[in-house]
Amino acid sequence: MDLFRDTHIDFMKYRKIWIVVSLAVLVAGLIAIFYHGKLNVGIDFAGGTQLTIKFQEQPDVDRLRTLVAQAGFEDAQIQRFGDEDAHEVMIKTPLVEGGEEGSREQIVQALAAEYGGEGGQGLDLNEAGAPAISSLLTQADPEGLREPGADDFAAAEAGSHYAGVAEAILEARREVGLFNAWEEIGRVPGVTPNVLSTLRSQAHLSDFAVLAVENVGPLIGQELRRRGILAVVLSLVGMLIYIWIRFELRYGVGALMATIHDVLICLGIYAWAGFEFNLTTIAAFLTLVGYSVNDTVVVFDRVRENLQKNRRLPLVDIMNQSLNQTLSRTVLTSGTTLLAVGTLLLYGGDVLRGFAFVLTIGILVGTYSSIYIASPFALLWEQVFGAEARQKKSSAKAA
Amino acid sequence: MNRNLMWRGIIILAVVAFAVLSGWPPGEEINLGLDLRGGMHLVLDVEVEDALRAETERNMQRLVRELGDAGVPGVAGERLSDTSFVLTGIEPEQMQTLESWAEDELVPNTWRFDREGDRVLFELTAAERNQIETLAVTQALTTIRNRIDQYGVAEPVIQRVGLDDTRILVQLPGVDDPERVRNLIKSTAFLEFKLVDYPMGGRSAASREEILAHYNGRLPDNVEIGEEVRRDEQGQVTGRQYYALQKETVITGRDLRTARPSQGQYGDPVVSFSLNAEGARRFGDVTGENVGRGLAIVLDEQVVSAPNIRSRISDSGQIEGRFTLREVEDLSMTLRSGALPAGITYLEERTVGPSLGRDSIQQGLRAGLIGGGLVVLAMLFVYKLAGINAVVALVLDVILVFGALGMFNATLTLPGIAGIILTIGMAVDANVLVFERIKEELRVGRTVKSAVDSGFGKALSSILDANVTTLIAALFLFQFGSGPIKGFAVTLSIGIFASVFTAVFVSRFLFDLYLSRRQRVEKLSI
Repeated sequence: MDLFRDTHIDFMKYRKIWIVVSLAVLVAGLIAIFYHGKLNVGIDFAGGTQLTIKFQEQPDVDRLRTLVAQAGFEDAQIQRFGDEDAHEVMIKTPLVEGGEEGSREQIVQALAAEYGGEGGQGLDLNEAGAPAISSLLTQADPEGLREPGADDFAAAEAGSHYAGVAEAILEARREVGLFNAWEEIGRVPGVTPNVLSTLRSQAHLSDFAVLAVENVGPLIGQELRRRGILAVVLSLVGMLIYIWIRFELRYGVGALMATIHDVLICLGIYAWAGFEFNLTTIAAFLTLVGYSVNDTVVVFDRVRENLQKNRRLPLVDIMNQSLNQTLSRTVLTSGTTLLAVGTLLLYGGDVLRGFAFVLTIGILVGTYSSIYIASPFALLWEQVFGAEARQKKSSAKAA
Repeated sequence: MNRNLMWRGIIILAVVAFAVLSGWPPGEEINLGLDLRGGMHLVLDVEVEDALRAETERNMQRLVRELGDAGVPGVAGERLSDTSFVLTGIEPEQMQTLESWAEDELVPNTWRFDREGDRVLFELTAAERNQIETLAVTQALTTIRNRIDQYGVAEPVIQRVGLDDTRILVQLPGVDDPERVRNLIKSTAFLEFKLVDYPMGGRSAASREEILAHYNGRLPDNVEIGEEVRRDEQGQVTGRQYYALQKETVITGRDLRTARPSQGQYGDPVVSFSLNAEGARRFGDVTGENVGRGLAIVLDEQVVSAPNIRSRISDSGQIEGRFTLREVEDLSMTLRSGALPAGITYLEERTVGPSLGRDSIQQGLRAGLIGGGLVVLAMLFVYKLAGINAVVALVLDVILVFGALGMFNATLTLPGIAGIILTIGMAVDANVLVFERIKEELRVGRTVKSAVDSGFGKALSSILDANVTTLIAALFLFQFGSGPIKGFAVTLSIGIFASVFTAVFVSRFLFDLYLSRRQRVEKLSI
């Protein structure tokens, strides 16, 4: 199937209009970055704590906000995370003076007061590790496995039996993240009614579990910022140098303009959509830059080839020809990559959503810019600074 | 089939087989990052100032005492900073004695001292300071390793970050109760046994004032006040008791030979310890001479309990104090591993529970399969039979990526999975470049064979140019990114190399294979 056989679209004809349109969108994008008042910077760069917490039932976000504020964190960000029925919440608190170790402890304490479950003392089976559960069972010995008179808790047979039971309980918990009811524990292999009743009397089930904690102190935050910026700057420089070596300056300028255009527009849309700006975002943008330059390079490669074949034709026409010839490839490659990242956006889960978003928008914008921005700019550069222009000037002077 | 073709086929099969061996089964061969496996990532800072301060204090006390023995009594010491102290109250005629004594006794190049009138200022040299700091970090490293060892984590990573940094990186996969591990690593566990000067018989005072009153308002130089905080089962404070303790320690945690959880006389959890030879001797002497006095067990400068010495105790004993079972286990572990030489701050922590990690893997796999499936369909739809060529290349790409991950022992992270999915989308690019060229050549009127040849030839420079820029981005991401991002850079880079290889070598091979079997090919399904 031939997608675009022998097209003769005059891409360059309205290039001045397209440049203006792009500039307008770009400015809109820049303004959009500050649509929410400030950039939503993640803890990677701003420092702070981020907790992912799972509840037995969907908690009232306002109630959570009050609890967290009472613990001393009024500007906490709280939002739902994951699927509807997962009852997961993400709580993000900014850096606090003198609190490098973050807000985890205070927040967990505040939540425990409200969601700690009945029977507040003793082991929390939604939080404890296998060794702790194993010790509890070995000491209580519900199956009566320990020999009477032994006072060593590591009594071999009893100890290893209960260690196995504890591990099974943990494995079940790893699957679901949170035990919602004692019956779930009762179903774990090795948990006999005796074991279950011991657990019920000596331990409890809290209504929430911390699934993930991320805490970045001020020192590390600073370093991550520095490294993020370095990565971006050095990559851009590296790519520029590469293009300069492989192609002439005018193409480098064209590619640079197209890339800047892509990044700024994507940045604007990303910020407007409210996504968080963290290390993964930088990775996404860098990849986008790589991809965008990639795209542009393929067109310029063709231009260079056509130039060698038809020295007579003016650059405008050669560019048009090249664009038409590479149109199939451009659309197809963008299409398949879009299929991949689009799937990631829809099915990839919350953690990667921002990443996939950048790439999806980026590919769309990047394809547009490879066609309507890169070449016109290269042409512009050539007209203003290029060999033809210099010739005209010198012949004008001579005349 | 001609020989050239055969060799190429063998090479391809060999590469694929190698990749499959390296990367299959993925569950076992491939390192999963913490964000997929679940676990803790901690960056700790060792507060070396603590160690410096302790050393300064220790030397000051020692100097004062030994000077007194050597004939310069009446000297008082005052610590000025973490690394300096001053001795005062020195008679002019004693100055000479002090200076020559200091020159003899102090290890050269450790302390500088200057006389200022009737004071002598001592300061740690830079060299010694570095020594102490390095030692503190190394000791902290060992202690933490011991504790983690005892807790039992598979494949932990515990190492210094950078050469002259005071930071330690700890990575513990598969931890189920991070709270406990966090506390375990951090607890200083500084154990001291001190004699109770007042009150006698194992009793305690209800307030500091009561103690001060006993000493007529002023504590003697060798006595300090210790506090015991009593809590109930919920951890709520129920009361505080005070003791006047003799500053000089009888034994410390270093004198322990072992410590383990046990049951006290009422069946409550206690730590049962035994002492090494030196410690046992000293312990025996002191307890023998002080029957009827209380012996305070001080942990991290808090009195845990102060039982009455009823008789001489030689080499073992119990520490009891209303502990829970878990506290007793943790205390035993930390006592066995030694006290931390300095405090620890957590600079960065990233802990992911295993359920989140599993969710991530599932979602990643799902997105990968769906995305891959869609791309395959697109390829077949657009390029028909030649599309199969692209599909084969795609499948090989994925196999090669997993193989390389397994072979290099690289870590697969969640962004790494995104990188693989991205590669799937971008990998077909190289194939598309070639196929479009071939179509063009066919349209111009070339024969099938020469169209394929020149198609591959002309597309090559485009393929290389195009992928270099993405590689540059991946390179810098690897250099400056954090763990998960490095994983992304790795899979992206491997993916690019793999896709160039498959597009240029494997696809070409498949085309040639197809063409070699047929006498005359008029049309190409492309």
